[in-house]
Amino acid sequence: MVDHVTTIYQCTLPFHEYKINSRGHLPFSTSKLSHPNSKQNQKPLPSPHPANAEAPITMVTVSVKWQKEVYPAVEIDISQPPYVFKCQLYDLTGVPPERQKIMVKGGLLKDDADWSKVGVKEGQRLMMMGTADEIVKAPEKGPIFVEDMPEEEQVVNVVLRKKYPQFGQQSNGAFMQQDAEECWTQLLYTLSQSLKLPSSSEGLDVVKALFGIEFDNRIHCAESGEESTETETVYSLKCHISQEVNHLHEGLKRGLKSELEKASPSLGRSAVYVKDSRINGLPRYLTIQFVRFFWKRESNQKAKILRKVDYPLSLDVYDLCSDNLRKKLEGPRQVLRDAEGKKAGLKTSVKTSVSTAGDSKMTEAEESSSGSGEASKSTAQEGLLPEEEHQLTGIYDLVAVLTHKGRSADSGHYVAWVKQENGKWVQFDDDNPILQREEDITKLSGGGDWHMAYICMYKARVVPM
Amino acid sequence: MSKTPDPNSTGASGSKSNREEATIKVPSKDPKKKDDKKDEDLSEEDLALKQQLELYVERVQDADAGLQKVALESMRQEIRTATSSMTSVPKPLKFLRPHYGTLKGNYEKMPDSDVKKLLADILSVLALTMSAEGERESLKYRLLGSQGDIGSWGHEYVRNLAGEISQEYGKRQSEEAPIDDLMELVQQIVAFHMKHNAEPEAVDLLMEVEDLDLLVEHVDSTNYKRTCSYLTSSAKYLPGPDDMLVLDIAYTIYMKFEEYPSALVTALYLDNTQYVKQVFTSCDDLLRKKQFCYILARHGQTFELDTEMCAEDEERERLQEIINNTKLSEGYLTLARDIEVMEAKTPEDIYKPHLLDGRASAGASVDSARQNLASTFVNAFVNAGFSQDKLMTVPSEASSGAASTSWLFKNKEHGKASAAASLGMILLWDVDSGLAQLDKYFHSTDTHVIAGALLGVGIVNCGIKNECDPALALLAEYIDKEDPSIRIGAIMGLGLAYAGSQNEQIRDKLTPILGDSKASLDVLAFTAISLGLVYVGSCNEEIAQAIIFALMERIESELGEPFARLLPLGLGLLYLGKQESVEATAEVSKTFNEKIRKHCDMTLLSCAYAGTGNVLKVQHFLGQCAQHFEKGETFQGPAVLGIAMVAMAEELGLEMAIRSLEHLLQYGEQNIRRAVPLALALLCISNPKVNVMDTLSRLSHDSDSEVAMAAIVSLGLIGAGTNNARIAGMLRNLSSYYYKEANLLFCVRIAQGLVHLGKGLLTLSPYHSEHFLLSPTALAGLVTLLYACLDMKAIVLGKYHYILYFLTLAMQPRMLLTVDENLKPLSVPVRVGQAVDVVGQAGRPKTITGFQTHSTPVLLAAGDRAELATEKYTPLSPILEGFVILKENPDYRDDQ
Repeated sequence: MVDHVTTIYQCTLPFHEYKINSRGHLPFSTSKLSHPNSKQNQKPLPSPHPANAEAPITMVTVSVKWQKEVYPAVEIDISQPPYVFKCQLYDLTGVPPERQKIMVKGGLLKDDADWSKVGVKEGQRLMMMGTADEIVKAPEKGPIFVEDMPEEEQVVNVVLRKKYPQFGQQSNGAFMQQDAEECWTQLLYTLSQSLKLPSSSEGLDVVKALFGIEFDNRIHCAESGEESTETETVYSLKCHISQEVNHLHEGLKRGLKSELEKASPSLGRSAVYVKDSRINGLPRYLTIQFVRFFWKRESNQKAKILRKVDYPLSLDVYDLCSDNLRKKLEGPRQVLRDAEGKKAGLKTSVKTSVSTAGDSKMTEAEESSSGSGEASKSTAQEGLLPEEEHQLTGIYDLVAVLTHKGRSADSGHYVAWVKQENGKWVQFDDDNPILQREEDITKLSGGGDWHMAYICMYKARVVPM
Repeated sequence: MSKTPDPNSTGASGSKSNREEATIKVPSKDPKKKDDKKDEDLSEEDLALKQQLELYVERVQDADAGLQKVALESMRQEIRTATSSMTSVPKPLKFLRPHYGTLKGNYEKMPDSDVKKLLADILSVLALTMSAEGERESLKYRLLGSQGDIGSWGHEYVRNLAGEISQEYGKRQSEEAPIDDLMELVQQIVAFHMKHNAEPEAVDLLMEVEDLDLLVEHVDSTNYKRTCSYLTSSAKYLPGPDDMLVLDIAYTIYMKFEEYPSALVTALYLDNTQYVKQVFTSCDDLLRKKQFCYILARHGQTFELDTEMCAEDEERERLQEIINNTKLSEGYLTLARDIEVMEAKTPEDIYKPHLLDGRASAGASVDSARQNLASTFVNAFVNAGFSQDKLMTVPSEASSGAASTSWLFKNKEHGKASAAASLGMILLWDVDSGLAQLDKYFHSTDTHVIAGALLGVGIVNCGIKNECDPALALLAEYIDKEDPSIRIGAIMGLGLAYAGSQNEQIRDKLTPILGDSKASLDVLAFTAISLGLVYVGSCNEEIAQAIIFALMERIESELGEPFARLLPLGLGLLYLGKQESVEATAEVSKTFNEKIRKHCDMTLLSCAYAGTGNVLKVQHFLGQCAQHFEKGETFQGPAVLGIAMVAMAEELGLEMAIRSLEHLLQYGEQNIRRAVPLALALLCISNPKVNVMDTLSRLSHDSDSEVAMAAIVSLGLIGAGTNNARIAGMLRNLSSYYYKEANLLFCVRIAQGLVHLGKGLLTLSPYHSEHFLLSPTALAGLVTLLYACLDMKAIVLGKYHYILYFLTLAMQPRMLLTVDENLKPLSVPVRVGQAVDVVGQAGRPKTITGFQTHSTPVLLAAGDRAELATEKYTPLSPILEGFVILKENPDYRDDQ
């Protein structure tokens, strides 16, 4: 209550001559007040006595309703502006006068209104609205709505679908499942178009350096003896799966030899050509696709080959390479072998002291990543050595697998399994990451209804030269 | 009577007796052949009777008057004592049939005497089976006869006579011949019918001879209820002024037998304030007066009690409080607590995303303003009137306002107006707390928030009157503000708060806006609607003029806009249900610009005949819809809605309208198809009929998205406040089907909110009191929303979604709350079941079927009726709906 009184002095500055008692009534000089007693006993004023008719009647008692409460006897001095009345109510309700809304006939009571024009009657019920609640303020930073965003940001997928309408295919009102490999190819293509190394003048692109596989193709026609060579760059190796293929390596090898029919200029008709491909340039990251989906003509649908095809944790592509490349690889491979031999030696010769800092790092890495030492080693070295001193060895370590679960290309579920920096494997199932053991990764090779590898990503093992 | 359709099988003696004549006459077509045949296989007894009768006939032809008299009296004796089954002609009549001609001839030759009169009596009875159709010989001889006790010849004779009288009356009316002798007979017949449980026949006869006043003399305490129920239900099928006349008589009879609640309901149907006053002044029981006040409050009638109606000031104040609906919120919350649904529900509780498979449930990480707006509405509809929710209000202990504020600002721009106003919906009818909670928004700097607060004040006050007029005081100063959204908020708020009040202050404040050429079209449209609501069904000339001028002054290009079409609706609401009174204004509307002319015409007609069941008007609207236009004409939408508005009055017309609408779906143009779901919604509002539900479900997948949207919203409207599981399931599936289509999804959400309106405690049906009374304000609110839905994209899906709050006008608890003499809730057992139509049935038939016994307060579904399952109390109103005061039965003895 004390607080109220103090505040009311502040807010009633123009009326500072009135003191407000604790009951919320303004005391009046006796000359103005015809019934000084009535103030004490809080009763409504009796109707004017004929005896004091000469004194102007200035007090009217009303009841005020505020929210669910009713203040039964509030006296109004109608010779004072309504602002005084509001201050009285402030004391009763705690609502500051400027936030009070008092309903009288014909609208709200104005601070400077004339009571005689408002026409309050004895015993009338007035209604007051207002709260001391905090005023609603808009948050500093309003929420961002989907509708406000530029169209492209609304959903990531929208961009993809816009750029490649084939991914926007719908059936039954929902978007259809799309091929992950197709998506990967398109992504790489788009990146290769837009990303250029700033330093390289001839526009050697980053994507090609990282993912591109150069092929030397020798096309040979047995009938006519024609022979031609050409080079091409692809971004993934295909592992074709047939009855005989049980292992990734076999599939890759078969992929290098293919037959095609084309018009032979010398024979003047179409003839069977044999295309023999050899790798002439290796990428930093090797992408391998298991060609599990194919168009089944008889049933008119995309079918899936469930056959089990094993893949190794580390892959050597030396025998898929051209002679040129093999020569280049010899050196680094030797270094690698030496390093491994040394390591084996270290392991066999117990308590031999570690000589170099690099070696000590190697062992540490080996210890920490239990069995995946090679990959870690290369990571560790990458940080130490400048780029150009790295040499490819033709040996690759598995770093990521994309699996597909389900019986057909139009349905199922894609999941990514990725090796982390620390050598641990994590399965990314939508937004749900699950820790996995390395031995389980090789079990994704198919042959059942479990997740099976569709795309494998290998990382090159490099040696410093 | 024979001109109008027959409401039920027992009614309409005129047509019935005609039918019987026909059946009886079948054998008389070839009498000789048959009689010959029958002669052979007559039993001995019959043969004797036949010979006896033949003898009498011979003797009648005798010259001796004494002999004649004896013969005639014997003949009369035979006829009177004869009994027969329903299907065959009594034997004496059958045997006398060949002699009818002879007796007739004889009668002509006889000199005037008592004997001649006696013969006339017998001829009159014989004519029952013999006279050719249209001859009315039975009546002719009756008038020539002795005029004795009419009932002595049996019921069938009286019925036949009544039929002939109505034909004769028609003939004499056209010839302007005197009818005194007929009326004397009518008196006798009516007296007979009224004594013998055949009130419908008596009423029918009196209607035929256009002298219903006679009825008042003949009703007594045993049959007045049946008589009145027949009168009131037949009123719906009568044309023109006759229906009012019939109800007038019903009112008189009710008053005569001091059946005041029924008299009051009839007076309300007649919209006759004088009669309402009379009910109050005639009754001197205070408790009964309180019940009257509850009835008036439910109807949404604005009514001021004066000292004549209740002398005591304090009592009058308390009665006025009931009429002002101040206790509605309290009663509603009592019901909610009893049913245990106080717990606030979130929009998620309504969407039930966990029941849908995968994709639709995946919550987006970014807020969608459209979806938040939908949630705002769903939250408001579901928690309407409960004073608590989980978005807008927060428990008092955590009154930092944080939660409330944050949700408010999760809406975008004009969405904030709807969000702020939704607080009004949550605190519906609770004026004191509502105003207190809305107050904080008034001090906002955001114009949309202020607009919402103004609208919220209107919503809170919807249907509630307060002597301090807080809504007017608060809103009045905002109606001339610059910002159009604030203006619309204040104007719409006034319309909602004072609907049906005919408040002159509001008229004086709002009419100038119509003349303001600078005001934008949307402000103008909302002003017209608000004025239409405040003066609904008043035929107020001044406002009508103002709207007409506004329509004439606007430039042509504006008249094609969606909002221009709401102006005629405001005009139409002024004439809601007032039939012919609209004609002068309709004439003026023919001079409008052609863009709006037809539209205005349809709107005015449909409003004026809303709830009348006028078949001719329905046909007129159907005719309008049958026209095919190259370009979509806007007037056909109102015409389709007009069918529903007119036909919604009674069950038969309603069923026919539903069938007609099916045809429109098949053959109509696209603009008609868009309106059909909305018309179906109006016909079955809060009453989910399975066939309509199926139609709407089918249309909700329509290839035209506007048809689909209208159908989805309509699904919500027919299920409004029912919690209907089937509709809820349909809508859930639609929400996953349309999860990529923002507009359709918004409609689905709104519909979901409507189905769970007030957690299933509310109804939107404008009909109440056993589907007898039509609340004009409720209908006006519904119609306004439906008109807005005719152009969904421009209005509801645009910036004017708060037009959905017009539904507040139609929202009423669908409850039966019994209170004791101190108006405190009193729990008693009641039987609730499907209502049975017992009009015109003899005896005391069961009024409900398939009932269950509950204790009050209870919910009443559409078509449900309740009756007390205890003798301990007697209700003060025969209609157990809403608030009903119970009085202890002094005769009650406890079994133990």
